[in-house]
Amino acid sequence: MTGAADLPAWAALLTALLVLLGAGLALVGSIGLLRLEDFYQRVHAPTLGATLGAGSILIGSMVFFSVLQSRPVLHEILVGVFLTVTTPVTLILLVKATHHRDLDAEQPATKTEAGDDRPAG
Amino acid sequence: MMSDESLLALVLALPFAGSLVVGFLPSNRHNLEAWLAGAIALAGLAIALALYPAVADGKAIRVAVEWLPTLGLDFTLRMDGFAWLFTVLVTGIGLLVVLYARYYMSPDDPVARFFAFLLGFMGAMLGIVLSGNLIQLVFFWELTSLSSFLLIGYWHHTAKARDGARMALTVTASGGLCLFVGVVIVGHIVGSYDLDRVLESGAAIRSHALYVPALVLILLGALTKSAQFPFHFWLPQAMAAPTPVSAYLHSATMVKAGVFLMVRLWPALGYTEAWFWIVGTAGLCTFVLGAYLAMFQQDLKGLLAYSTISHLGLITLLIGLDSPTGIVAAIFHMMNHATFKASLFMAAGIIDHETGTRDIRRLSGLLRLMPVTAGLAILAAASMAGVPLLNGFLSKEMFFAEAVAHHSSSAFDRVLPYLAALAAMFSVTYSLRFIHGAFFGPPPADLPRQPPPLPSWMAAPVALLVSACVLVGMFPAVTAGPFLDSAARGVLGAHIPTYSLAVWHGFNVPLLMSVVAMAGGALLYLALQRYLSSGIEGSPLLRRLDSQRIFDRIMIALTLRAGRIGLETAGTRRLQPQLRLILGVACAAALWPLLQLGMAAGPLAPSALDPALTLVWVVGAACAIAAAYQAKYHRFAALILTGGAGLVVCVTFAWLSAPDLALTQLLVEIVTTVLLLLGLRWLPKREEMVEADRHRTPRVLLRRAADLAIATVVGIGVAAIAYAVMTRPAPDSRASFFVERAYTEGGGTNVVNVILVDFRGFDTLGEIAVLGVVALTVYALLRRFRPAPDSIVSPEQQVRQNARAAAAGPRQPADALADSLLVPALVMRLLFPVIGMVAVYLFLRGHDLPGGGFVAGLTMSVAFILQYMAGGTRWVEARLIILPVRWIGVGLLLAALTGLGAWAFGYPFLTSHASHPTLPVVGKVPLASAILFDLGVFVLVVGATVLILIALAHQSIRTHRPTKPEPAPDHA
Repeated sequence: MTGAADLPAWAALLTALLVLLGAGLALVGSIGLLRLEDFYQRVHAPTLGATLGAGSILIGSMVFFSVLQSRPVLHEILVGVFLTVTTPVTLILLVKATHHRDLDAEQPATKTEAGDDRPAG
Repeated sequence: MMSDESLLALVLALPFAGSLVVGFLPSNRHNLEAWLAGAIALAGLAIALALYPAVADGKAIRVAVEWLPTLGLDFTLRMDGFAWLFTVLVTGIGLLVVLYARYYMSPDDPVARFFAFLLGFMGAMLGIVLSGNLIQLVFFWELTSLSSFLLIGYWHHTAKARDGARMALTVTASGGLCLFVGVVIVGHIVGSYDLDRVLESGAAIRSHALYVPALVLILLGALTKSAQFPFHFWLPQAMAAPTPVSAYLHSATMVKAGVFLMVRLWPALGYTEAWFWIVGTAGLCTFVLGAYLAMFQQDLKGLLAYSTISHLGLITLLIGLDSPTGIVAAIFHMMNHATFKASLFMAAGIIDHETGTRDIRRLSGLLRLMPVTAGLAILAAASMAGVPLLNGFLSKEMFFAEAVAHHSSSAFDRVLPYLAALAAMFSVTYSLRFIHGAFFGPPPADLPRQPPPLPSWMAAPVALLVSACVLVGMFPAVTAGPFLDSAARGVLGAHIPTYSLAVWHGFNVPLLMSVVAMAGGALLYLALQRYLSSGIEGSPLLRRLDSQRIFDRIMIALTLRAGRIGLETAGTRRLQPQLRLILGVACAAALWPLLQLGMAAGPLAPSALDPALTLVWVVGAACAIAAAYQAKYHRFAALILTGGAGLVVCVTFAWLSAPDLALTQLLVEIVTTVLLLLGLRWLPKREEMVEADRHRTPRVLLRRAADLAIATVVGIGVAAIAYAVMTRPAPDSRASFFVERAYTEGGGTNVVNVILVDFRGFDTLGEIAVLGVVALTVYALLRRFRPAPDSIVSPEQQVRQNARAAAAGPRQPADALADSLLVPALVMRLLFPVIGMVAVYLFLRGHDLPGGGFVAGLTMSVAFILQYMAGGTRWVEARLIILPVRWIGVGLLLAALTGLGAWAFGYPFLTSHASHPTLPVVGKVPLASAILFDLGVFVLVVGATVLILIALAHQSIRTHRPTKPEPAPDHA
């Protein structure tokens, strides 16, 4: 925000492009979350925003602040690392929960049939 | 050589310091603890004796330290002749009691506790007698009640000790409360709590309209403490205490606090009709009744307890007679009673210790078996009966002379001599009974133990006390005269009456009364032989009037019945009515001034709407409303929606340039949501919407409408008030002051943090203390908590998952969970050090940038929460040693010690020091002493959060005990 006007044109363009790309990906992911039919399909849509979308915005942010402060600003890498590490946790927990729910719905918990549906990983 | 003033302070400080030290010693080192306690009592006695020249002839020592100067309260110690006399009694008898207790207490008793309480009591009692300030006196007064409670309940494994302790505390502490109110009234009348000022203002107090209420309240305190009728019943119950305690607290010193106070305040409150009637009547009733009841006790200690009550009544009666000679006689009798009664209690204790019983019906003929103890006890009992050449005789003579003298021409005055002689007769009878019952007669037949042939060291203190009785009795003018004189001067000032301390006064009415009492008492004892030997407990006529039973009945009526009625009418176990009540009261309290004064928006124009923030707020409002809508039947959804609203608040803070608040809000939001989620599992299950439809009666609808109305009114009201405040220009508050000085004086650029740990450090100290208390309370509540029956079984999902896993193969059900959490758990574990580092980072930069101890503590606790979620309670606790209670203690201590550290440099509490030293590698670092304080905050916050977490987590372990029958998985 501060001093954004001082940014050279090429950097401003690059930043804008990256941020818009990230925002667009996140938007597409959100629309997907809304439109797709069942849980297993929907769970993929937001990852667009969490991976490539977030990555573009972070790179944009790195460009913006590095040029503005005339030194490499690399904090965003940390943000990226944490996003990469933590997002799958949420995803795995959600999917496992749904998987179990669906198993229960299909075969009202009888011991014998439930066996081969155990999740592999 | 120390000055008198510092010696005086030392007398008071020594017992408390000793109490602390002894309390931390190992509980079975009898010799060490007894020696230490004895040395402290001896030192106190020596100092007191050395101070005598400074208090003789009506002089006094005063020490005053500013305590609350803004309220005109100083911590004042004041010793005059009267206080000196009591100091010597308390320390001297204390010394003998410690010596006695060394041999009396069994090797199995945890004596560290005993001596610590005893020394604590000694300090409290010295505090009463040395206080130069009434509020301070009340403080020490309550402290004696507490230590008496602890000492009576020392053998807390017996029901008698517990009941006696509780009754004593109830009676004396209620009296103490009355005394406090009375003292406050007196302070209001005089305009000062200083004892000297109060004693000078006697005329003003007596003529004030509030004199009678103040007098009654103060007397309630004094009479309960000194076990005066009708509050006498606690003292016999207090005999469940170990005998050294009975000898020390319940005959020689603590019960004297009441009469001490009456004598002390007599110059200010006495000389009135009200004083005469209240104090005189109470004293006379107690004197006669106590002596009467004492005759019929079968327990040696019970007999002595009632006789103590009676003698205290005698002293009270003397005070009530409202004459200077009466006061002198009262002081003299306090001294004498303390010596002979303490020695009698000790003798009773020796008998109990050596033979195993105190029951007069089983004891007899002990003269041959324990001749030393018997001889000493006979002398002491003779003194109690008032036999010439012993000290009891002298003060009793003074009392008779006072009883005969003319006071007023009322009926009270006319019957007084006869009642006095009657009670004296009773006292001769019970003294005879004590001696004859225990020491004479045929050899004892059924003693639980055979007494050893040689007397033990326990008899030594008794011998010392009895020799004091004899010496004072034979040479009163030489031995007791000067001290009695200076004590009387301390109370009465220069105008002390003429009195004579001689053994022989010639043939006069008091002597005749003594002779009548002696003869009558002996005859009465003979006449009562048949009744007493029948072995009946209690006295004729008054057996039904058991004040203990009355007390119990009143207590039951007050606590159980009144409590039940109160609960039925005003109480509720449900949360909803409580919340309704709180909100209703808050709403009314806010509406009242608004209706009176009106409310309007301020002059400032609101700033333009920002579309982005507006959008965020719409989301937040939607979350909040949806949470309320879902709260009844979908707790989980409601909780998540509440979290959403919290995040919106957090974003708002960040938007409005309050990064500190945003950071704190974010972490608080995370931690509370997770803790609530953990707690959610233990709430009873709700039927789904079906239930709601079934109960849609008009009454339910009405209640919901009312709730909606309350919620709306309160919400809109708060919003309106906030709007009205924010549209006004900010008042010129302290804010600018803090902003300007944060760096120059606090050494930090983060104003919020500097305020928290420096400018307002005292508030923060209080807040973290509250936080610690809350965490401990949650822990204590959950420790014994068992979940509702319908949530005690494993959750449905878990049961099915386990069933499926069991069907799949031979692996344990626990593996199913471990499998499905494999990747998440790994990530969570790996994040532990990372989050820890973030916490350290936030903590270190806190003084200059957003962060600080509180936020860092919350961050760290998130790391712990993640470990619990990833691995489960057992896994975590097998690998991490977490001692949250210790963390809380360390944090609080650290914060407080940092504050105290400022004293070492001569600054007020919690002054912080800031500097920016240059370290070799790191460079210039900001370093303020406040960072230590902040560290305390950090440690405490971690401890408190983790403690609550553990309390919740352990629920899951507890419910899955193998003993609890789990329903078969198929039925789930």
